[in-house]
Amino acid sequence: MSISPEQTYLARTFDDGRYAWARSRQVRHLAVVAQAVLLAALVACTVLAAMTDDGWSTWFLVVWTAGMVAFIPLHSVLNLGIRGVFDRSDRSLDEHQRRQHEQSLGATVWPSLALHLAAWCAAVAVVALTGHVTPALCLGFLLWFAGWILPSWNLAWTAPDEPADADFC
Amino acid sequence: MGRQPKSEADKVHDRIAVLRADRGVSRKELADAVGVHPQTIGYVERGEYSPSLALALRIARFFGLPVEAVFSLDPLPSLSQELLRRTS
Repeated sequence: MSISPEQTYLARTFDDGRYAWARSRQVRHLAVVAQAVLLAALVACTVLAAMTDDGWSTWFLVVWTAGMVAFIPLHSVLNLGIRGVFDRSDRSLDEHQRRQHEQSLGATVWPSLALHLAAWCAAVAVVALTGHVTPALCLGFLLWFAGWILPSWNLAWTAPDEPADADFC
Repeated sequence: MGRQPKSEADKVHDRIAVLRADRGVSRKELADAVGVHPQTIGYVERGEYSPSLALALRIARFFGLPVEAVFSLDPLPSLSQELLRRTS
């Protein structure tokens, strides 16, 4: 039986040498900051939209769609930076990557739970105060999403630079 | 499973880089032989990750050496110093 981690298609993509630029600490930090700023901006827009009479307006639809689309490349960069440790199959992780996975989950378990609770409370509060269901669902989703993505941010922020690949012959 | 050392005293020292250079083995070749990703070998060499017992034993077996010749809780003397000590 092989002791090597299984090389799935996704794992091969995350380990591809062409994406080594995404694994530098600077790029990982930039990706985390960019995602956090985008998420905070979307939360602010959702709260603003909820306070309007319409609740769901054209400008909010445009901002929401643009924000969601912008997340795709940002999350791709972040995922490449941490070799997709949270997205790829467990079988493709070696013991060091499994350790990183567990450490980041452990480090963010309470903030993640708090955000998940905040998602529920914020959605209920928006409906109760404004009567708008759609912005309430959007706000709940954003806060839930922040809780879900927190371990990835933690790993991207705290992981040391990878050893140089100079002797990978 | 291994872990990240919490302090200098917690570190596991090793001779992997010296042994690889001596045997002409790349990180990738060693990683493939012991079942980890090449960057994990790099983290172990840099002292940023203490390998599990199973991985340490597989690495020692790959080089055909006892595990205490490859890993130590104390800083390992250089091989030239050891040679000098044995020949003098």
